[in-house]
Amino acid sequence: MSQGVLLFCFDTEHTRYHRILERCVRLVKKNISRNITVVTNFDTFRKMSPMGFVNYKFIEPELGNKLNGKAWNNVDRHMAYELSPYDTTLVMDIDYFCFSDNLKNLFDTEYDFLVPDTAHDLSGRNTFDQRRWSMIPMVWATILLFKKNNKVRKIFDTVKYIKDNYSYFTEMYRIYARNLRNDYLFAMALQQINGFMGYEKMPFALPTLPPDCEVVEITDEGLVWQYNDQISYVQDQDVHVLNKEIANV
Amino acid sequence: MDIRELKQQSDLSYDTAVAKRNALEKAHARQVLAYDGHLFRADPQTICLVRTLKEKNGKFFVLDTNSNPVEIKDADDFLNKLIERNQEALNTYHQMYETFTRKGE
Repeated sequence: MSQGVLLFCFDTEHTRYHRILERCVRLVKKNISRNITVVTNFDTFRKMSPMGFVNYKFIEPELGNKLNGKAWNNVDRHMAYELSPYDTTLVMDIDYFCFSDNLKNLFDTEYDFLVPDTAHDLSGRNTFDQRRWSMIPMVWATILLFKKNNKVRKIFDTVKYIKDNYSYFTEMYRIYARNLRNDYLFAMALQQINGFMGYEKMPFALPTLPPDCEVVEITDEGLVWQYNDQISYVQDQDVHVLNKEIANV
Repeated sequence: MDIRELKQQSDLSYDTAVAKRNALEKAHARQVLAYDGHLFRADPQTICLVRTLKEKNGKFFVLDTNSNPVEIKDADDFLNKLIERNQEALNTYHQMYETFTRKGE
């Protein structure tokens, strides 16, 4: 049974995502030790530094989505099932830095589909209480683990269906955000396909650094950030960095 | 104590509290253990439950983190792994805690 990590990376006019990818790949190789497949386009691929053995799949990203007025090419996550060459796949956002080997655990399980449903705000302000922004329990599609089987294929089919009718579903679930967010897409799909009942989740909160925290230093062991006049750090702990300026650190 | 010293102490206490909370969260995440295809939390409750059940039977059932039942066939092995993971996580937390304590001195 093959196992691997699937990453999506597309540069935009404002953000050099390939720089973030290079750090992410290094950490995945060091701490997860699984095959890696990067889904990208040729323009982004040309700018990447050599990263050793990595598989590439080339697609043209679907355009049109925006984050804070800037292009945000994140709409292709629904294709993860078709694009993954692995029996068991860990899909990760490239701004999720695995400074620990905690995620490795997930490959040793029998679950068909796992996603985290809580985030831990590393800046100590509990800013991720997403219930305020919709009437659906949130999931964090930052990391997903799935196996290839009929049940999971139906989950991804549902994700596609909801994506195609996104404005209808965001109205129905009273989702505040107007742009397409994979978190809501998967939250809605999982609720629909599971008969409005519960589903299996990763038993930990996603350690997340809010966008107003500026990363000032990053190594292979951890990172240092600044929020107002406070400097803090984490070491050997995974971090999802929301501030895209990390591409320039 | 003047207002400047008070602010300094307050900032330090805040930084320490946030760092402690993050270290505790790190310990919680580290306590997650994959065993026999399922995820378990190597916390005091699971360890005590496994130890108690082990005294009665060599094989028994426990619930994983998603409330699925799992038959434990080798209780000693499972208990050892739970304790090992629990102490690894708490040892790291302890080291971090020591640095907070020193910071306040």
